[in-house]
Amino acid sequence: MAGKRATHIHELPESILTEVFALVKDVRSRNSAALVCRRWRSLERLSRTSLSLRGHVRNPFLLPTCFPYVSHLDLSLLSPWGHHPFLHPSPTRLNGHPEPRPDNYNGHHHLLVDDQQLLVAQRLGQAFPNVTSLTVYARDPSTLHVLAPRWPGLRHAKLVRWHQRPHHPLGADLAPLLAACPSLVSLDLSHFYCWTEDIPPALQAHPAAAASLARLDLLSASSAEGFRASELAAIAAACPNLRHLLAPCVFNPRYFEFVGDASLLALAAACPRLSLLHLVDPSTLSPARPISDPADDGLTSDDAGITAAGLESLFAALPELEDLALDLCHNVRDAGLALEALGRKCPRIKSLKVGHFHGVCRAAWLHLDGVSLCGGLQSLCIKNCPDLTDAGLAAIARGCRILSKLEIHGCGKVTEMGVKKLASMLRSTLVDVSISGCRQLDAARSLRALEPIRDRIERLHIDCVWVRPDLEQSPEDADRTSNNTGDLDELEEQEVSNESRNKKCRHDGDHSKSNGSSSTSSFWWRLWERLRYLSVWVPAGEVLSPLADAGLDCCPDLEEIRIKVEGDCRTCPRPAQRVFGLSSLSRYPRLAKMKLDCGEAIGYALTAPTGHMDLSLWERFHLHGIGDLNLYELDYWPPQDKEVNQRSLSLPATGLIQGCPTLRKLFIHGTTHEHFMRFFLMMPHLRDVQLREDYYPAPENDMSTEMRVDSCSRFEHALNSRLIPD
Amino acid sequence: MGGSNSNWSSGGATGSKLLEMLNVRVVGNADRPALVLSHGVGTDQSAWNRIVPYFQRDYRIVLYDLVCAGSVNPDHFDFRRYVTLDAYVDDLLAILDALRIDRCFFVGHSVSAMIGILAAIRRPDAFLKLILIGASPRFLNDEEYHGGFGEGEIETVLAAMESNYEAWVRGFAPLAVGADVPAAVREFSRTLFNMRPDITLFVSRTVFNSDLRGVLGLVQVPCVIVQTAKDVSVPLSVARYLKDRLGGRTTIEVLHHTEGHLPHLSAPAALVPVIRRSLSR
Repeated sequence: MAGKRATHIHELPESILTEVFALVKDVRSRNSAALVCRRWRSLERLSRTSLSLRGHVRNPFLLPTCFPYVSHLDLSLLSPWGHHPFLHPSPTRLNGHPEPRPDNYNGHHHLLVDDQQLLVAQRLGQAFPNVTSLTVYARDPSTLHVLAPRWPGLRHAKLVRWHQRPHHPLGADLAPLLAACPSLVSLDLSHFYCWTEDIPPALQAHPAAAASLARLDLLSASSAEGFRASELAAIAAACPNLRHLLAPCVFNPRYFEFVGDASLLALAAACPRLSLLHLVDPSTLSPARPISDPADDGLTSDDAGITAAGLESLFAALPELEDLALDLCHNVRDAGLALEALGRKCPRIKSLKVGHFHGVCRAAWLHLDGVSLCGGLQSLCIKNCPDLTDAGLAAIARGCRILSKLEIHGCGKVTEMGVKKLASMLRSTLVDVSISGCRQLDAARSLRALEPIRDRIERLHIDCVWVRPDLEQSPEDADRTSNNTGDLDELEEQEVSNESRNKKCRHDGDHSKSNGSSSTSSFWWRLWERLRYLSVWVPAGEVLSPLADAGLDCCPDLEEIRIKVEGDCRTCPRPAQRVFGLSSLSRYPRLAKMKLDCGEAIGYALTAPTGHMDLSLWERFHLHGIGDLNLYELDYWPPQDKEVNQRSLSLPATGLIQGCPTLRKLFIHGTTHEHFMRFFLMMPHLRDVQLREDYYPAPENDMSTEMRVDSCSRFEHALNSRLIPD
Repeated sequence: MGGSNSNWSSGGATGSKLLEMLNVRVVGNADRPALVLSHGVGTDQSAWNRIVPYFQRDYRIVLYDLVCAGSVNPDHFDFRRYVTLDAYVDDLLAILDALRIDRCFFVGHSVSAMIGILAAIRRPDAFLKLILIGASPRFLNDEEYHGGFGEGEIETVLAAMESNYEAWVRGFAPLAVGADVPAAVREFSRTLFNMRPDITLFVSRTVFNSDLRGVLGLVQVPCVIVQTAKDVSVPLSVARYLKDRLGGRTTIEVLHHTEGHLPHLSAPAALVPVIRRSLSR
């Protein structure tokens, strides 16, 4: 019999409530849940397993102790970023004054004595006894020396360091960690700057930890070199149980000890259970896109030391391979045969990324060849393959029927037709597409090509190249010819998808262009229903505003956007419009998170010659209109001046960012002046601000006086002492 | 916030507190003579970053920020005290005292050059030599004197700063920048907008109101005037004026292939040999 009182969530048994809470990921929701009642609080704490400590830890007793069940602890974001004064003895401040100052001189100074480090580490260990996964900014080994023994059962560790490597013997960075945590399963050094020579000795010196390692991520964007063949062999020998290995390697055959077929085979022999293998050329890790000469057609002069035959033997030796990336800068010829072997020998292969492989999919005849024979592929990334054609893409679509993620970069022969056919054939599975650096695919063409999956795609990347004068083929011709090739069943598929594309969205459309045969979009907005994440690449000097006209009219679900501006602002022509066009993004109603990366835009910071714009003007150009968007979170990389090694927020940028009324989190990946930061205090909802100089080399406190440690502390103190409305 | 209660006393902060406040940094060889590097308005000591490595071995380099620099806590800027350049001179001499430096070489840029001149008048035996980059005893033009800035141009700069200041007072970060003003004053004022608007306005008034022409003759210390080939804010005639009027032995060094007001930033490779030569003579 049903009572008059409705059932309340509170009446659920504890075990179910705990499960429900465990599924809630959003931190603020969790905090709100914890405020409801004591029972909920204890349950929420029980299920809170991951915690990222933010804020300034000046005193050990400020550490929160109410999260005892946390198993993943992130200490790398503590303020001031990149410094851990409470875990690091400070050097003498001035050479002329060796005597230390008293601790209480100024609350914003950080001078802790050695045994206070131990105390703080002990406190951390007490507050979080169940930590099995740790992320920490390890500026020098003393941090780990003190922290690692607190959690001898540590299974996952991620080290972060963007500052220069201090002078110490090889392997000294990792030794304390490996010594104290012999059951370490995963070590992530992808954000850690060290030398390649540091790794093998550290692993060899601690065989217990090395043998237990199953995952080793060495892909650091700051390493200019890669591992040599002998180093790779040493790592493989030390860690026989590796299942995931990611490492940059020296693939250039002109260098000593380059990694070639033999080294790869040796690696496979030493670690036969590898299921994830990412070996890349170090230059692919740098944030700058390599400038490709269009006449070059993607052919670099050197071939890699890796051959198709060698790859075949490699695949034969690694039957458990699921995820492979071989992103090279040198050519691998006739790779098609090797990729067919991949499909045969590694049946579990799900994700593949290849760079500078030739012959990935020839599609010369009607049968499938090359990568299209890897039927189980879900994610495929082809970079710099100069002979990939539309026919190849069609073959891939026929062969890899469950492909959900596709990325093509620098494939000059691919055209709109090819991508469109692939999209229509893979309509039921493809949700993540990235098209970049392809000469024949500018922004408008890329967006048109993705029309068959417009209502399904969730993540998208395109290059904002607006006008390509060398492409004369009109859209009508392209669509007409596309219907003539291919099998009959493909044509049928396309017609079916045509009908399903008729959306009932009726708007007064002045904007939509009328295309030729795909004229279904002439009266309707181009609606990208499920698009959640958009990434665009903009060459320096270009504007963003034509984006809507090019095809991205209506994206009701778009939450996150990443804009990368790259190029030389000194030599590019002055932009045609006065503003970059950020306010044009206000047409996307749910846009809340933005990453604006101008870090690879180079310009003059202070001393621009006459007639040139300096970086403050460029920042004003780029950031204008950002106040019109209802952003919740902003990551901003200011443009840099390489001559003076400065990445700094200028005054107009500060002013424009200050105009964002709803911003709650702001992360600036650069430096700035203290009183610029003070402007941010006037933003009503701002809660979390940090200057993260996560590029190599991160400025030392003494090198850059713009945002010193003390300034950061003062600012955060002021930020934290404001009243927050919610 | 503790620590900022230091300068409400009459003479300004005491020595050691001043060292903290102005981010004084000493690098290089402690046994060698001292070399003080003093930056101009709008920048801070990091402007010398490309110059310092060349002199680290041979000199004990002292770097500090002027109180109006962006890296100094703006609360330390006492509007009652820093009305004229004399207060800045006080700071400089206090730093020398706190570091117990008896004699030093001094390199000053722009307004720091003026500060150096005044300091050398007050304490002639403390300075072995003055190296003045982009120096000018008076920026405003006069009947017979061409300082580089006409009345109208100064007014433009000050008006831009006034509007900046108003925006700042109302709570908005101003959007105008140094490059918005006429070309004649652009290079000079570009860095002015990096400072907090009220401090900027104040310091600009201080700088444009100062006139050191009368006291130049009192300088006994040898000076080297470093001038770029084309500095819109400091015409070459000013360099010659200085050479004629400065009391001590003065030479002019022109950086022929360089232009601009900030050679230590835009052309350190040209500036370093000049400084080295000047220091060794």
